[in-house]
Amino acid sequence: MRGRYYLALLLLVVLALLPATAGGAPGRVPQNVLVIGRIIGDVVSLDPAEAFELTSTWIDEHLYETLVEFSRDFTRAVPGLATSWTVSADGKTYTFTLRSGVKFHSGNPVDAKAVEFSLRRAMRLKLQPAFILTGFIKNPEDVVAISANQVRITFNQVMPEILMTCVLSNPVASAVDPALVQKNATASDPLANKWVAENDAGSGPYILRRWTRNAVIELVAFDDYWGGRPRMGRIFVQDIPEPTAQLLALQRGDVDMVTDLLPAQFVQAAKEAGLVVKTSPQFALRYLAMNVGYEPFSRVQVRNAVKWAIDYTAFRRIFEDQIDIGQTIVPARMFGHLPDRPYSKNLDRARALMREAGFERGFKAELLTVPDPPLPDIAAKIKEDLAQIGIEVEVKVLRSADILAAYRGRTHQMVIARWGADYPDPDNLATALADFDARVLAYRNQWDHPIKRTVQQAVQELDRAKRDAMYRQIQKVVLDEGPYVIIGYPLRLLAMRANVKGLDPSPLSVTYGMWGVVKE
Amino acid sequence: MWAYLVRRLLLALVAISGVLVIVFFLSHIIPGDPIAAILGPQAPDYVIEDLRHRWGLDRPIPEQFVRFVGRLVRGDLGTSIATKRPVISDLRQFFPATIELATTAIIVGALAGLAVGIISAVAHGSWLDHTVRFLSLIGLSMPVFWLGLILLLVFYYWLGVLPGPGQLDIFIARPPSVTGMILLDSLLARDSVALRNALGHLVLPALVLGSHALVGIARITRASMLEVLGQDYIKVARAKGLAERTVILRHALKNALLPIITVIGIYYGGLLEGAVLTETVFAWPGLGRYATSAILSQDFAAIMGVTILIALIFSLANLVVDLAYGFLNPKIRYE
Repeated sequence: MRGRYYLALLLLVVLALLPATAGGAPGRVPQNVLVIGRIIGDVVSLDPAEAFELTSTWIDEHLYETLVEFSRDFTRAVPGLATSWTVSADGKTYTFTLRSGVKFHSGNPVDAKAVEFSLRRAMRLKLQPAFILTGFIKNPEDVVAISANQVRITFNQVMPEILMTCVLSNPVASAVDPALVQKNATASDPLANKWVAENDAGSGPYILRRWTRNAVIELVAFDDYWGGRPRMGRIFVQDIPEPTAQLLALQRGDVDMVTDLLPAQFVQAAKEAGLVVKTSPQFALRYLAMNVGYEPFSRVQVRNAVKWAIDYTAFRRIFEDQIDIGQTIVPARMFGHLPDRPYSKNLDRARALMREAGFERGFKAELLTVPDPPLPDIAAKIKEDLAQIGIEVEVKVLRSADILAAYRGRTHQMVIARWGADYPDPDNLATALADFDARVLAYRNQWDHPIKRTVQQAVQELDRAKRDAMYRQIQKVVLDEGPYVIIGYPLRLLAMRANVKGLDPSPLSVTYGMWGVVKE
Repeated sequence: MWAYLVRRLLLALVAISGVLVIVFFLSHIIPGDPIAAILGPQAPDYVIEDLRHRWGLDRPIPEQFVRFVGRLVRGDLGTSIATKRPVISDLRQFFPATIELATTAIIVGALAGLAVGIISAVAHGSWLDHTVRFLSLIGLSMPVFWLGLILLLVFYYWLGVLPGPGQLDIFIARPPSVTGMILLDSLLARDSVALRNALGHLVLPALVLGSHALVGIARITRASMLEVLGQDYIKVARAKGLAERTVILRHALKNALLPIITVIGIYYGGLLEGAVLTETVFAWPGLGRYATSAILSQDFAAIMGVTILIALIFSLANLVVDLAYGFLNPKIRYE
């Protein structure tokens, strides 16, 4: 009897599953809907005062707006919520005049008080991205609504317009609906961070309809958007963590675009009819860092021997052409970029430098990398190249958490790492890579060079030509003496259905708004 | 019986406490910095220091442990550094998806595994037995990740008869959450569209996850049945002229069930831990992905929350299996 019971149960399970197979057959995405397959597990909070991960800041760019934005070439500010602005004679105080008639998604007006409230809120919450504001604005009270449509912001230093734009176009400087914040505030959370983290309080072209963690984010077009209703009525960002599953969903037409394929899969997608791969530059670096605190690397000759021993042409091949090759710390297309590429594989020169440094017999060094493809292959190639000048490299593939702990703790010897520009200005890279006092990458690699003074001066230089010259000088010094081998500037790749048009990604890490996208 | 139950629960409590102490100290002494891992390489040092202080991670490890235990006795599992939410809320969100998947997988694996194991034992030494054993070996050797992708390729991409990754089509509204399990919630909401769709999405991950359980259960069923089939009372039953089906299912299977139940319990416990590879391939928002991400970023509160949950699951699974012995074999007494 029991056997029959089991068999009956099995039959029941099979019968239960069969109809589902018909019901689950996938369909195509409607014309006015855009579906993006992407890893969204990094979304922790959608509160612009807290969002700091790639996907959350990208989503926030659709939900929220800032006073100013960058022009397409990143050379000047263009109007956002503010239509115009003036700067004081000392270059520290900006007064912004707001666009009239702009509304939050709730219908409340975006006025000067709302902007004052939002910036002060972000500074008072002191969450991860707050440093972008507090680094340049001393007190929350330095942001003041001086009339219904005018806001005055006093910075703690001279602010060239480009640097002001870097700070105020960041999502952390977004306008947040004060009425909604106050309505959802609690005694323990007076600025409603928990509520804003999961809900919408913005004025951007899209409204957040739902966010199911590790599953889907749904945005709907904001009908009353001052810039006109976006063409895509709805955008779904579906969590698909596995690259092959992303590709299959794209090929089936269940998603219009995917972002996280493996390098070889992008190559495959580019060859397939009905799919296109959009490649765009990024303001980002892949680099090999040498810790000057490790005795051999304290000699500039050894650091340069490494630079002369490496076969740079292999990097492009290993990255499947998905990287721009360059050797200076300011990426191509960014203001101040120095296009010099003096290094190529020259073993005689490298060996001579090793001899000059007293290391003709070589030494041992540990190289850290994360397991993300193709970095272990890059590490293996570097190991092979450096073996030719007597440097015996031991590659260690570790979790990102372990590598960051070693890197911040300055206990590494060599590490392969990445830097994406927080804002599109050479100051971001120069400060990180050449200013020891800023306690970022130069500090972590224990490279304290007098060029840091130039870095500190360049950020406040108002004359554009002089500033450009200063950044070129900084790059030259880093190229000649610094502890970095620049592997290249990684490209951003997006694979999409051929009927998706109008996408124009910017070189910043996250910015590629979907409000201009159409489907033919 | 009750005394036995109380004693087992107390023992489980001791075991869970031991596991907690070990996992807490191990996770805290291994190298790595959770704040740095979460903020990435670009956050300034002072932001890292500030957050480390805010989260109490700059305190001595024993003090952190005392604080953890203090919170735990108040029923507070702490807040995840990665998701910034109470761990209990995260577990409440992600665990139901895993229960749904693991339960379906173990039903598929147990029913099919029993059937395959019985057939293989009864047809011992025949081509059928060899074929089943050969297929079992292949099934056991096949990486879950690879099997998942192959099934997606065949049933989703080529044939188009099953849906792709995810727990539910994005265009279908999720039923109001009562249990957190979409199937049950769809039933409670009488939402047949969501139910059918969710069932469709469950098929492939459940098959993949159930396949390993299937093979393990089939092998233990076969071995256990072969042992029982050689016993004298089976010969007597046959000599009495009982139908072969009665001999196999009523006399042999019932007596062979004890080790099978044990294996099913262990597999179910393992599946409830979450299956990170299956969950990743099928974009299943379950405990496996949550736990893996917690481990990778050294999210201590989340690691401890998941540890408590897993320790509880295994303790309960063991207890249920032990209690099941008594029902299956009246000779077993609980003292």
